[in-house]
Amino acid sequence: MQDSFIESLESRGLTRRAFLGFCGTIAAAIGIEGVTAADVAEAIESNSLIGTNGGLGEGALAPVIWMELGSCTGCTESFAQADNPDPATLILEYLALNYAETLSAAAGYSLEEAREETIEAAKGKYVVVIEGAVMTRYDGEILRIAGAPTCAPHESHLLHTCKDAAVVIAAGSCAVDGGFCAAYPNPGDAEGIQKYLKDNGVSTPVVNLPSCPVNPANLVAVIVQYLLLGPESVVAGLNEFNMPAAMYGETIHDNCERRGHFENGEFVYEFGSEEEAKGYCLYALGCKGPQTKANCPQVRWNRRVSWCVASGAPCIGCCNGDPRTTVRNWIDVDSPFLGRLKTLRLGDIAFQPTPVALGVTGLLTAALVVHGIGMKATGRTKGGAPFEKEREWDVKHGKKEPSTVPVVEEQVVVDFEEGK
Amino acid sequence: MAHLVHYPEAHPFVFRFTHWVNLICMLLLILSGIEIHYPVVPYLMGVARGVHMFCAFVILINLIFRIVAAGFIKSAPAYGTRETKLDMYTFFPQKDNRHQLWPWIKYYLFFKKEHPLGGKYGVPQKLSYLLIAVAILFMGYTGFCLWAPTMNIPFFAGFTTLVGGLMKVRVIHYFMMFFFICFTLIHIYLANIEGIDPTKVMLLGTKPHGGLTYSLETRNISGYDPMDEEIIVMEDKVVLEKD
Repeated sequence: MQDSFIESLESRGLTRRAFLGFCGTIAAAIGIEGVTAADVAEAIESNSLIGTNGGLGEGALAPVIWMELGSCTGCTESFAQADNPDPATLILEYLALNYAETLSAAAGYSLEEAREETIEAAKGKYVVVIEGAVMTRYDGEILRIAGAPTCAPHESHLLHTCKDAAVVIAAGSCAVDGGFCAAYPNPGDAEGIQKYLKDNGVSTPVVNLPSCPVNPANLVAVIVQYLLLGPESVVAGLNEFNMPAAMYGETIHDNCERRGHFENGEFVYEFGSEEEAKGYCLYALGCKGPQTKANCPQVRWNRRVSWCVASGAPCIGCCNGDPRTTVRNWIDVDSPFLGRLKTLRLGDIAFQPTPVALGVTGLLTAALVVHGIGMKATGRTKGGAPFEKEREWDVKHGKKEPSTVPVVEEQVVVDFEEGK
Repeated sequence: MAHLVHYPEAHPFVFRFTHWVNLICMLLLILSGIEIHYPVVPYLMGVARGVHMFCAFVILINLIFRIVAAGFIKSAPAYGTRETKLDMYTFFPQKDNRHQLWPWIKYYLFFKKEHPLGGKYGVPQKLSYLLIAVAILFMGYTGFCLWAPTMNIPFFAGFTTLVGGLMKVRVIHYFMMFFFICFTLIHIYLANIEGIDPTKVMLLGTKPHGGLTYSLETRNISGYDPMDEEIIVMEDKVVLEKD
């Protein structure tokens, strides 16, 4: 690495050691054999504004446009640790974060100009990061940014920005599946960026990075993979939900540090209990780790300090959304967060699987008891009712087979009771 | 009123054995499944998971064995007869059961006083057994969608994607358990409500009591086999019929 780059890092409070450590995390998250921390460091340096080109900016091959839609800004918060900058934040800035409503110093027309310039200057090369859900109610008038609805059909500046991008990254669950905004009853008709672009005929590849907020390490990993190996490599590594399979391929449960307690049957049944103090498994509190695929236990959060389960909170499955539809966003899939199973809905009626299943079983049992009383009353409990002489159909339509005379010439029917 | 004779030919040893395997596995699968769903008993999760997976494999292998064996082993296709055919014919449509679905339903709902004639399994009974075979396969399939070592195999992952994630698969798997519980309740009820002889024969293969016999040729009651029972014949209840 060049001295100017390291100096620049250090002037922002990031040591060379910390930077390389972070690059190691990124390399692990990318999960492709042969991609090392050194490759990652080189990719970031050579593509950064303060890199080999002396900070002139010509080396910036991948400008980033960060668009914020219906969101709580939590994903930005997750990046921008103001008093203690996260390596991810700095790196993203180095990668020419040309437009970000929250982070950019400029505002208004000058910022919108920067976006337009970026689109013109780097057609097909820039990366769009989407934070938050696409709010489509009232033809997109529900959310206006820069003087226009964000997502009016066919002509919005959201479509305009995404159309010429190399890749669109949906950062955080709201951008992936609508997230909190799309949770029942979804009053703003929120949806994920993948569905929105597909419905409006934009074919730019979308990389979905769910979780609430997005894990900065995963976001930077995708951008670095794009710089190192190109968009084809990024797209090739996606699973059926357009999420990087290396990051969202294994369940949290399978890599959880409390897994040993699970296998031993040691559970926290109640917050504030002795079991919780012992760090037992949170499964009984509704932990969604077994059905949530993400790399949280390996990559962790906030510079690998901790993550939800390590800090004592059950996983609430914030990566569980289905980006292809609005009705399977992760809130609806995982709520109640402290219950083992989700709440089901038929129209406006919400119910839990267990009471319904137990209710049906109870009704059936009651029906069988009543039926049994009927069987007893009709005297069928000792051998059933007497057999019909002939099948009803045959009586009505005439018995066609067998045509021969029955073999038995004499038929004897005897009253028989057990024990007599 | 009387049962048809429950000759052991109706339930040869091999099928009594597979029935026992089903019974034990179902019971263990349901109990361990409840424990896995929510750890009711502390410190048993590892055991419950082990038992659950073991029984899952056993019941699936048992089902496949049962289906294959139906093509090789003979059994009586109706009660009250010692004539046997390959067991699979018991599960195909039988002439003995033709047009009998509606009478069966009427009989169960007390709209019909007489017991319908039929093959070894009545129409609703046979349909439910065929459905259970499919249900066991489907249950196993959803189970493998949830089991970490197999969940990423495309054959299973495809279904998970189709229904919208592991939580949905889990809910389906959970509801299916109650489907099996409900089936078992109905099954136990109907097998025993008209007397426990059929259960004894099915589970233990005991020597049958006397009862009516059934002819596969006429597809009707053909007489009475007292076996070794002492029978008191009351004059006014004896019916003699001549063709």
